[in-house]
Amino acid sequence: MSLTSLGASEIRSLVAAKEVKAEEVVRAFLEQIERREPEVAAFLSVEGEKALEQAKALDRKKDKGCLAGVPIAVKDNILIKGMRVTCGSRILENYVAPYSASAVEKLAAEDAIFIGKTNLDEFAMGSSTENSAFFVTRNPWDLSRVPGGSSGGSAAAVAAGEAAAALGSDTGGSVRQPAAFCGVVGLKPTYSRVSRYGLVAFASSLDQIGPLTKTVEDCALLTQVISGPDGRDSTLADRPVPDFAKEMKEKLGPFKAAHLKEKLIEKIDPEVKNIYWKTLSVLQDLGGELIEMDFPSWEYALPCYYIIAPSEASSNLARYDGVRYGYRHPEYSNLREMYLKTRTGGFGEEVKRRILLGTFALSSGYYDAYYLKAGRTRQLVSREFDRAFAEVDYIVTPTAPEPAFPVGAKKDPIAMYLSDMFTVSANLAGCPAISVPCGWSREGLPVGLQVIGNHFQEGRLFQLAFLLEKKVKFGNNRNIINWKEER
Amino acid sequence: MKSGLDIDHVCALAHLHLTEQEKKVLAPQMAKIVEWVGRLDEIELPVPSEAPDFHLPFSLPFRADEVRESQPLESVLANAPEKDAPFIKVPKVIEEK
Repeated sequence: MSLTSLGASEIRSLVAAKEVKAEEVVRAFLEQIERREPEVAAFLSVEGEKALEQAKALDRKKDKGCLAGVPIAVKDNILIKGMRVTCGSRILENYVAPYSASAVEKLAAEDAIFIGKTNLDEFAMGSSTENSAFFVTRNPWDLSRVPGGSSGGSAAAVAAGEAAAALGSDTGGSVRQPAAFCGVVGLKPTYSRVSRYGLVAFASSLDQIGPLTKTVEDCALLTQVISGPDGRDSTLADRPVPDFAKEMKEKLGPFKAAHLKEKLIEKIDPEVKNIYWKTLSVLQDLGGELIEMDFPSWEYALPCYYIIAPSEASSNLARYDGVRYGYRHPEYSNLREMYLKTRTGGFGEEVKRRILLGTFALSSGYYDAYYLKAGRTRQLVSREFDRAFAEVDYIVTPTAPEPAFPVGAKKDPIAMYLSDMFTVSANLAGCPAISVPCGWSREGLPVGLQVIGNHFQEGRLFQLAFLLEKKVKFGNNRNIINWKEER
Repeated sequence: MKSGLDIDHVCALAHLHLTEQEKKVLAPQMAKIVEWVGRLDEIELPVPSEAPDFHLPFSLPFRADEVRESQPLESVLANAPEKDAPFIKVPKVIEEK
């Protein structure tokens, strides 16, 4: 079996046992990148030389960390000191990170190797990675389709065997939806579980860094490493991080899971719906009691999100004015004109749309009707989750309403926003949620199941996802390697 | 909910400029999105109203109030579009009489 078909846990075991050198691992992944990138285009930058240097140094090191030699791809809105971080935007095209994100430092401390920075929708705003200012990433399962977004590059890189694991960020589903589209595992941790220090801000009350991996075990491993206090993010919870790998393997026992009422899924792709129902029966086989639950505000979560996220974005992105960093328009006669031309020339269409939407929702005369109302709706969503988790252990939904769609298929912004219909609620409520592959469409496209848990219950999510993964035999994505080779 | 979206006013607030062609595409899209998010009007919210604080079931600790090292000046200046160390250069703000 080739090294590039292995996941993080397998690689670190081989490297720790000195059965394989970290250098061999990195070379294998770099070769895979060379083979696959012309088609998949997952990476904005590949750091081959640096990765090889890191690997060679690691091979000489005596005590190795728990991610020794694991090649990791990092979404290009997460800072790695000395590497460019573009956010998929012209406005940050030449920005070089002056420091590393906390999550990156924690991975580095465990001897992970950063192989490159992955493509994304500009400033993480999108569900297809088509909004990148640079190029479109393709879904490795079907190159005519999108990998999802906004962490599409990270998901595609893992699915194509170009990285053993990846980091993404999830504001409204940007880890989970691409994970589902690309047949990998993706977790949005509890808000405040993982430091946002060094993650370029989109919507600060919703953003979380999360891992994209080949297996649930790898997902637990990476989450373990990146979680916990760092003293540099004031929204981080001050609580210990449990041993996720241990919790994952504990006996699950009987559990209760809430599923959505038919009316909330009636308009989704019939195949996805079918796979969802089938997966629910698998949950029953695993000892789950399924409870149909009404979430009256569920259908309002998406419009609520599309007020809150753009409002926060309009404020966060005010910093891109051509003064301190990033692109500055070369021609201007005064400061105001410099701001205007810089922002107009530097931002892409979707980013402008969201800045305008957020500016409007926060503007005088409209604040109460939009932003305040959305804030209060968010509270309703949270309370419904609280009520649900008083009764059940999990809420299970499809991750996305359809499998990966063709590149260029969604021209209407609202049609694109609907991709997040099942994922935004967990961000609004701050709950952890995982996407696990649970089946394929007839066209051979992966479909994911989303499992949402109560705050800080990532261990419980891994427990169920681990069993589900075994049961549906999706396992890691070795299948894709074979499938691509056969084509 | 009547949107009341004035695209020129919002562009001015956001320091963005749209060409007439862009406006033709974006303005109707924006109006549609504003109408769509206006669906929240259908929800009956509990009265009396509460401040929409972000709901988390735990408190967030304050860090100790102590001086910490900042980013080194050189690394901050390295990304400046125009500089005259140790300053970042911007167009003149105060006009001469």
